[in-house]
Amino acid sequence: MTIQFERGKVVVIDRGARKLRVGQGMLKGMAVVWHHWLKSFQKLDNFSKTAGVFTVEYPDERIKLPEAYRNMPILLYDDETGQELCTACFQCQRVCPPQVIHINQARNPETGKAIPAAAEFIIEYDACMSCGFCAEVCPFDSIKMDHEFELSTEDHAELTMNKAQLSRPVSYYERIAPTFWAEVKASAYKKLQNSVKRRVDLIGIAPQMVEKVKAMRAAAAESEATEAAPSSAPTKPSAAETSPATDKAAKLAAIRAANAAKQDAGNGGTSTPEAPAGDDKAAKLAAIRAANAAKKAAESGEGSASVAPAAPEAPAGDDKAARLAAIRAANAAKKAKDEQENS
Amino acid sequence: MELLIQIIFFLLAALILGAGVMVVAVRNIIHSALWLIGSFFGVGALYLLLEAEFLAVVQVLVYVGAVSILILFAIMLTRDVSGQGERLLFQRWWLALLVAITLFAAVITPTLLAQSWNVVPPTGPIEPGQPTGIAGALELGRGFVHEFLLHFEIAGVLLLVALIGAIVIAFEERNRRRKVLTLAEEHELRKRREQTSDANASESALSAPGHPISQSE
Amino acid sequence: MYDVVDYVLNTTFNLGAAGWVVSLISYLMIATVLFLVAPLQMLFLTYYERRLIARMQDRVGPNRVGPEGMFQPVADAVKMFTKEDIIPAAADKWVHLLAPLVVVAPTMFMFAVLPWGPGMTPIDMHIGLLFFFAVSSISAVGLMMAGWASYNKFSLLGAMRAVAQMVSYEIPAMLSLLAIVMITGSLSIVDIVQWQGGLFISSSDVAGVPNWGLGWFVFNPVGFLAFAAFFIAALAEGERTPFDIPEADSEIVAGYMTEYSGMKFGLFFLAQYVLNFLLCAITAVIFFGAWQGPGVNELYALGITPDNPDGNGWFNVLAGVLGAFYFLFKTYAFFFVMVWIRGAFPRLRVDQLMDFGWKYLIPLTLVNVFSAAIWVGFNNWGANEGFGFAEPLGDLGRWAVAFVLTLAINIAAYIVMTRIYGETRRVTFDEQLADTAGLPS
Repeated sequence: MTIQFERGKVVVIDRGARKLRVGQGMLKGMAVVWHHWLKSFQKLDNFSKTAGVFTVEYPDERIKLPEAYRNMPILLYDDETGQELCTACFQCQRVCPPQVIHINQARNPETGKAIPAAAEFIIEYDACMSCGFCAEVCPFDSIKMDHEFELSTEDHAELTMNKAQLSRPVSYYERIAPTFWAEVKASAYKKLQNSVKRRVDLIGIAPQMVEKVKAMRAAAAESEATEAAPSSAPTKPSAAETSPATDKAAKLAAIRAANAAKQDAGNGGTSTPEAPAGDDKAAKLAAIRAANAAKKAAESGEGSASVAPAAPEAPAGDDKAARLAAIRAANAAKKAKDEQENS
Repeated sequence: MELLIQIIFFLLAALILGAGVMVVAVRNIIHSALWLIGSFFGVGALYLLLEAEFLAVVQVLVYVGAVSILILFAIMLTRDVSGQGERLLFQRWWLALLVAITLFAAVITPTLLAQSWNVVPPTGPIEPGQPTGIAGALELGRGFVHEFLLHFEIAGVLLLVALIGAIVIAFEERNRRRKVLTLAEEHELRKRREQTSDANASESALSAPGHPISQSE
Repeated sequence: MYDVVDYVLNTTFNLGAAGWVVSLISYLMIATVLFLVAPLQMLFLTYYERRLIARMQDRVGPNRVGPEGMFQPVADAVKMFTKEDIIPAAADKWVHLLAPLVVVAPTMFMFAVLPWGPGMTPIDMHIGLLFFFAVSSISAVGLMMAGWASYNKFSLLGAMRAVAQMVSYEIPAMLSLLAIVMITGSLSIVDIVQWQGGLFISSSDVAGVPNWGLGWFVFNPVGFLAFAAFFIAALAEGERTPFDIPEADSEIVAGYMTEYSGMKFGLFFLAQYVLNFLLCAITAVIFFGAWQGPGVNELYALGITPDNPDGNGWFNVLAGVLGAFYFLFKTYAFFFVMVWIRGAFPRLRVDQLMDFGWKYLIPLTLVNVFSAAIWVGFNNWGANEGFGFAEPLGDLGRWAVAFVLTLAINIAAYIVMTRIYGETRRVTFDEQLADTAGLPS
């Protein structure tokens, strides 16, 4: 080891470790291994230490996967209504590099017109390369990447997934990727409402929810039938429902409007109580519009207006949702009226 | 008991002789070396039957463990060991047979004539004080450093000479040795070459007498 | 065992069996037990090694099959049995078939002289130690056969390496044992174990030391250096990691085992682990007193022994169990050290291996033989042999002088050898570099 002096200043150099003689290096090496062996009986919880077992014994315990983890694509549907977010826009099918996505557009059985929903949606998991392009490109936030990775099977054909196997409720995705979903939730629901408007009957309902939705609608129809007779249900949000004509579409729209209103009320009450007062105007406007629509509906039918009380309940809430609810109510009412006239 | 020992003896004898015949009878030279090992092993077992444990173990240690390995090494380091297409018998095989028989007779005849037969073998366990005969390591050792010291030393010197001879044959002058360099060594070499060429260049440039650098070097 | 069988046959059942029948039955029983023990040891050691090395590498190791993975080796064995047996088309079929047997058989023979407890040695040979190592050298032939018969360059290379390594490292192993044999004056393993009674000072050197079974050879300088050298040589003989060049999987696939599969490969594996067990065991026997430990001798003295025929047989059993426990504990401790070394050091190169054996271990063990001579001289020799001047020191004094002298010699030898060895290696590298390039060094 040489020390170099420069004129006028002393250069301090690091001498490093002591030189190891006559087998000390071997003993030192063995001491390192011994240290690791001793420490291996304790489990490491973070990676700042170098000694200790940090094995996660997989089938018994699992690492919490990061939200951005992606394995295979899945399709989302709304928990309550069972409406699928997918509109069969074919973006994913086009972008898929291994071309494993196959979509059938749903059509109205009477008119043959295209409906924004997928009649069948197939992804070949066996050839899927988990690139996530489909989830990236999906404009309706319907297709998302799953965290499930235990897909091994004895039967190759089992890896071709149809719509029933691909569908997951929104709440499932919300659980595995809460922040991601929170980012897109509002726009996704907005788009969903738009497409739901153009769906008929049970088309666009997730296969596992079909029975449930049927039962729900039947129950709703029954309860309305009984409650419509006294026609004194001020809190019931069944505005356009009261006409004796059991018009399914009208009923559905009403239920939806009610749900949305309820949801908005909840949001307004709990999550965003400090909504800016400047937006009140819009909300108020929406409420008025909703009230008008309800009134119209009431005129055409004989029921009591009840969307109106529902809509003004959410003035403090985010105006967008309120507006949406009002529009929806108006549309539903209009539709109900039209159909009544037709019939 | 006697019968048992005789049966074992004949089995061992058959193994030794059969293996010995196979050594010269098989074409494949590796196989013949392996048969030779079998023969060595049989001899060791024969010593054990004679209750000469030490000799038996040394037979195994030296012949099976070391000599046979050397033989195998030597064969494997020799070219063309397949032995295919070579004749086992040559035209003058009878001459070889004659020589072999003569040599064997020269060894066996005095033994047969001078041997005193019908010696009663010692029975029962050996008393602690009694010498254990040829089987004992102690007696062998004593014999080597007292009675047969000269023979022992001569054998030792012979082995030493063989060892030195092997080294002389196998030794290569260091400057004729070529080493296969690793990448790191090659890198080191290149560096040093550049250094020396630089030094040479600077030396020739600065070789004027009285220059401080050339002086310091 | 002979006594027990004799007692059962001739006294209890009064069959009047001849001596050789009793011998045959007793030896058959012993052999059966040992042949059962050997594969079990192999099964245990594979599991033990895998768990240990995993811990040293911050992993968990196999823990799925059975509680804590206890049945992993059984699962592996089942796999071995059911695998297809493949013989290469160009292989020498008979030699290929025989090679695993030739490798396994000697390891089984070696159990014959292993002492498991007081009075629990299968055969007490006069030359037990020599027998052990003579038989172990046979397996080199098997390795050579395997390598040659496989008709594969990797097999042949591996076999050549294995045999060269075994032959080279047998010499330091033998020389380090020679020091011990000089001190005990006997090649019998039972004598060597008996010699190691006492309390850190062997009762054979100094009379009157209480026999607590702790006078192991490793506690004196000669024994310690011999132990270190022997253990290193044992690593090489057993092809353990710093010396595992014969089966260096990153260089020559699996060495001589490359062309073997199924149960033949299993036999090689068995032989290797049984050999490792035996090497650990013999290290424990020679340097750490085998079954010697506190309590064994006291218990054994109460049992039935040649000196005390009226003792209680249960004390024999107790002493045997305690002795076997000590013995196996020491053996597994050495196997732990083997695994520890495997975890710590990388593989040597062939030339490094040869250099280390021939240029370092052999001179060191030769010095140790010299130390052993001094030890024997001071402790055992009297006026007749020319050590009259040491008599007035008394037993303990002579022991102390021998201890200090041999300690000084051995430490000096170790330091000098190590430095010279390190120096030569460095010099040869530089010189070779200079020679190759034609540069001034």
